[in-house]
Amino acid sequence: MIRLHGLGKAYKVHGRMRPVFTGIDAVFRPGEAVGILGRNGAGKTTLLRLIAGVEHPTSGWIERSMSVSWPLGFAGAMHYSISGADNARFIARIYGKPLAETVDFVDEFAELGEYYRMPAKTYSAGMLMRLGFALSMAVDFDCYLVDEVVAAGDARFADRCRAALEERRGRSTILFVSHVPHLLRQFCTSGAVLQDGRLTRYDDLDQAIEAYGAH
Amino acid sequence: MTGAGQAGAPRPLAGQPRPAGGVAPGGMPRLVACFDTQCRVIGALLLRELSTRFGRENVGFLWLFVEPALLGGTIGLMHHFSGHGLPGGIDIMSFWVLGYIPYYLFRAVVNRAPSAIVSNQSLLFHRRITILDIMISRNLLEGGAVLGAMAVFVLALGAVTGVWPEQPAKLVAGMALMLGFAHGLSLLIAAGSVYTDMFERLTHLVTYLTLPILGSFFMVFWLPTELQQIVLWIPTVHCFELVRDGQFGSMVPTHYDIPYALTCIALLNLFGLAALRKARRDVVL
Repeated sequence: MIRLHGLGKAYKVHGRMRPVFTGIDAVFRPGEAVGILGRNGAGKTTLLRLIAGVEHPTSGWIERSMSVSWPLGFAGAMHYSISGADNARFIARIYGKPLAETVDFVDEFAELGEYYRMPAKTYSAGMLMRLGFALSMAVDFDCYLVDEVVAAGDARFADRCRAALEERRGRSTILFVSHVPHLLRQFCTSGAVLQDGRLTRYDDLDQAIEAYGAH
Repeated sequence: MTGAGQAGAPRPLAGQPRPAGGVAPGGMPRLVACFDTQCRVIGALLLRELSTRFGRENVGFLWLFVEPALLGGTIGLMHHFSGHGLPGGIDIMSFWVLGYIPYYLFRAVVNRAPSAIVSNQSLLFHRRITILDIMISRNLLEGGAVLGAMAVFVLALGAVTGVWPEQPAKLVAGMALMLGFAHGLSLLIAAGSVYTDMFERLTHLVTYLTLPILGSFFMVFWLPTELQQIVLWIPTVHCFELVRDGQFGSMVPTHYDIPYALTCIALLNLFGLAALRKARRDVVL
């Protein structure tokens, strides 16, 4: 379970603290697949980063009683000067997973071909995304934080992500942020809308999409 | 918390009620589990740093040997031709090389600190990797590499001059103190680099400008008594003197105070840790 207690984040803009959101309270339980809708700049990515612990909140706190992935998107979590395979070894060491199996798993999942042995800085954005997603699947987290860009990959990989997340449904929690409602329908069961610095939960995804569309 | 090995277990966030000590459901005491995670993380970071810094396509490690050798060799030659030696009759080349190596370590650790967070920020996406882990692994690697270079020089100098270190353990202890001091300073600099780019520019300048007073190229007993009292306030002076005591021993008098050096190192590291804690909260990745 992940519980947000009065979560707030502000960034310094032109010398003044400008809040992205304040006082967010929410609970995400095991087995939930929550689609979080919000427009560009609403703070979706910031929210994922806080839940992942990549950045720290300005106010409030987060209670995590499950392992939480890093936010899966374009950037982060890997080292760009070493190869995909070396990244897999690094992740395996960090999270205490068997080395050889992790390297094979990521190779198979990410389908990078010979690029798997090349430095990650030579990868295209799509390849980095595939590597990042495969690495996170190899660690096997209880909760996955997914940025919509993952689903923006080609159809084949999007299917793969969907299958992998589907397979984890029931034991894993999935938080998926997007500003495109139809993407969420493929992955999520319930919804939430992040708007004007507030997060509103809806038990039914369609309600969330309706509320989001009304604005 | 559902398991000792899980990402959620260690490191609570700001303001979060800390789990009291005790035993995680995995069976391991929580502190042991955290220590286990930290060791694993530092080990993995060390291996990665090792391959990127001293890998096949990198000749960076060669410089570790070339620079002290060049400096010691050149100055040794100058002294040889000018005809006067050093007080106490110690070997000129040994004095300069052994003075330069601890400084080399200090400079390497301090100068690499401003870029530590920037060049590893993608790794901070993993909650179990902390800035401290990154700093420890980088600095341990630096310390290990320079200590290795020092061993080679000590052996080579011994073979040439016939003078072997009187107490090799003191050489290692002096280097360890220097590493501890530089490490504490690097924590402060890394934390500061989150707020300003100034450190990137300043560290190089400052490490060169302070070279004369750090203690690498003078011995405390050369100085008048009042000046001795002043330079002994500088923590690095004690590190160099300890190294010299290990190498030259009874040939020359050395002045150092290990408890004083340790106190400085402890304080510096304490402030460094506090600064990192604040910086981690403010860093935007």
